[in-house]
Amino acid sequence: MGEERTIVIEPATRLEGHAKIVLKLNERGEVDDLMFSITLTRMFEKFLEGRLAEQAPRLTPRICGICPEPHHVCSLEAVEAAWDVTPPSAAVKLRDLLMQGKQISSHALHFYALAAPDFLAGPFADPSVRNLVGIIKNMPDAAKKAIALMRVGQTICRYVGGRSVHPVTGIPGGMAKRLTEEERDELLKLVNEGEELADFTVEVTRKIVEGYLDVITKLGVVPTYYIGLNVEGVHTIYDPKATVRVMDPDGKVAADFPKGDYLKYAGERVAPHSYATHIFFKPAGYPDGIWRAGPLARINVADRMETPKAQELLKEFRDTVGRPCHATLAYNWARIIELVQAVEKAKKLLEDPEIVSADVKLETVTPKEGVGVAIVEAPRGTLIYNYWTDDEGVIKKANLIVATNNNIAAVEKSMLVTAKQIFEDKIHEKLKFPEPWFK
Amino acid sequence: MPVKVAFIQLSSCWGCWQSLLDLHEALLDVIPQLDIVFWHTVVDYKFKDLEGLPDGSVDLGLTEGFCRTEEDVHLLKLARQKCKMLVSYGACSTFGGLPALLNLYPIDEALRRKFMEAESVVDGRIPDRVVPKMLDYVKPNPSIVKYDLLVPGCPPEPKLIAEVLTSLLKGEMPKLKERTLCDECPRVKSDVVVVKKIKRDFEGIPDPEKCLLEQGYICMGPATRAGCGAVCPSAGVPCKGCMGPGPNVLDQGAKMLSALASIVDYESVSPEELVKAVKDVVGTFSRFTLPSAIIPRAVTDRRK
Repeated sequence: MGEERTIVIEPATRLEGHAKIVLKLNERGEVDDLMFSITLTRMFEKFLEGRLAEQAPRLTPRICGICPEPHHVCSLEAVEAAWDVTPPSAAVKLRDLLMQGKQISSHALHFYALAAPDFLAGPFADPSVRNLVGIIKNMPDAAKKAIALMRVGQTICRYVGGRSVHPVTGIPGGMAKRLTEEERDELLKLVNEGEELADFTVEVTRKIVEGYLDVITKLGVVPTYYIGLNVEGVHTIYDPKATVRVMDPDGKVAADFPKGDYLKYAGERVAPHSYATHIFFKPAGYPDGIWRAGPLARINVADRMETPKAQELLKEFRDTVGRPCHATLAYNWARIIELVQAVEKAKKLLEDPEIVSADVKLETVTPKEGVGVAIVEAPRGTLIYNYWTDDEGVIKKANLIVATNNNIAAVEKSMLVTAKQIFEDKIHEKLKFPEPWFK
Repeated sequence: MPVKVAFIQLSSCWGCWQSLLDLHEALLDVIPQLDIVFWHTVVDYKFKDLEGLPDGSVDLGLTEGFCRTEEDVHLLKLARQKCKMLVSYGACSTFGGLPALLNLYPIDEALRRKFMEAESVVDGRIPDRVVPKMLDYVKPNPSIVKYDLLVPGCPPEPKLIAEVLTSLLKGEMPKLKERTLCDECPRVKSDVVVVKKIKRDFEGIPDPEKCLLEQGYICMGPATRAGCGAVCPSAGVPCKGCMGPGPNVLDQGAKMLSALASIVDYESVSPEELVKAVKDVVGTFSRFTLPSAIIPRAVTDRRK
């Protein structure tokens, strides 16, 4: 018999927010408890009260500096929904392009900086090399391509959103800035470069999947519900017509609801040890209804992808890991399928002559008392914005469920399962790991 | 010899680091010059690794974000202790930043809204186990520890970051622009300005060449420091002041109010009508700098 132990990991590293992990082992070495504690909240919901609603799209991007564009667009469209404003179609296409630009840069950043070091250097590597700097020093060619891919996405964001971080051009009634033909031509060149870079990233991913298939399919496999936007079964991250699909752990569609009905389906349970709540599928209750969002969830709920190359990759994914796929480590593979789709979709949008239209903003917009809901997909998960405005267009109340927040409960659940596999079954001694790409 | 650096993330959004990554290919030249001893989003070092370093052993520290929790204050003080040179990086760290608009509300009212009253919450309660304690209100970091350099911006534009980092790595102290944003804005300004109507940002289609303030849109240019390249007015929207107060300005919001008062035609808009037209005075004029303002938070106790 050993002693009781508490392992505290603080901070949790290579993730975009602030968290710590507290793991308790009993005297038999079994996992008694695991807490995934989010150590920060800035309570945007509160200080949005009293702000002019048209300013909200210039406030809420600060919720996340890696993915401010979806926050900008979602905030904007919640205001438009409250005010009954329909922007010109060219403005909707520009917002779509902005979303795809961010999907490209964020997925590239997430893959190369946050996730890939664990696979390329291996999970047992020294922290001093297991990171983006290690990739830059040891795999300079891959690092160059990673940086170029981020540049492609961030340049789209800058041209459409006015700045590469914290966009400014979205305004109720449209966009404050049109895309010129010169800018369009430059972005098309970049997106062609992006196609090659995405193909390279697919090859890196295939090697990782091949080397780690045993680990991916055995470690941290956790059945949950899944949430993601779709248009009649087709995968999307942004579409005014999209509905929200929820899939149950058996792979059946449990709901496919219009955005405005989210309160019937999404519940937030407060965990006493975390400043981020636990989101769940309300009809199934807590904890049974815990859902996951983001790339794996969107890939699971979609019947098919929107673009051809991505659809081919989805087929390969499903032939290997099935549907629904509950393997947490398959998130990275799903992310790369979405990256490929974002590049294809950005190209399609840029080839549409309407993308350079000057008709991007309504001249007259009238604020009014109203309630507006908007839902888009941020790179790491579904964004739900709900605003209540008064007759002068000032925000009275705001309810937000943001991206990674959807995953907090499931992350804790996956960590608990994984900790039991490691501390109780010593699975890491039995799994097949490939030789590291660098040490 | 690589320069030992610590990149410290307090309560923040990560946007300042994203802006650093937006140096793109130039990163490949910068990164090999650095020995990163702490950067939690990128490298796996933990708090104890930072705590274990000898005092003053880190050449350069950058702090992003403000102090929302007691843990932030601990980390900020630790950064000061370990770093020879400490740079405040971005608007949150330098002034308190945009999310410090929460200073307009008592903290327990905010916690109640988020964890008990939000429409999607079931079985609400305020988290109180394991999590660090929330501070009642946000104070600017430079009032908690001494800094060697303050860099504003939400986020600082990549070009500004490149200038600052290049100087620091050469051992020189970077200089911020001692001008206002209007001086670097490409929009055309008239000699005599008279504003007859205050417009909200969604009203009409602004003239693409003319000064936005002259057209009646509240553009913070006259009260804001130059250095971003007037990126927002160039993209068709008014500046909101993320670079903080211009040179020799104590309170950015007060400066903007006075600038606005001097150009509004009182025949058309009385002072009362001006305030009514602005509607959200603090969120408009002190959006990024409330904790650094002369009145840094709501002083009325709304609980009584």
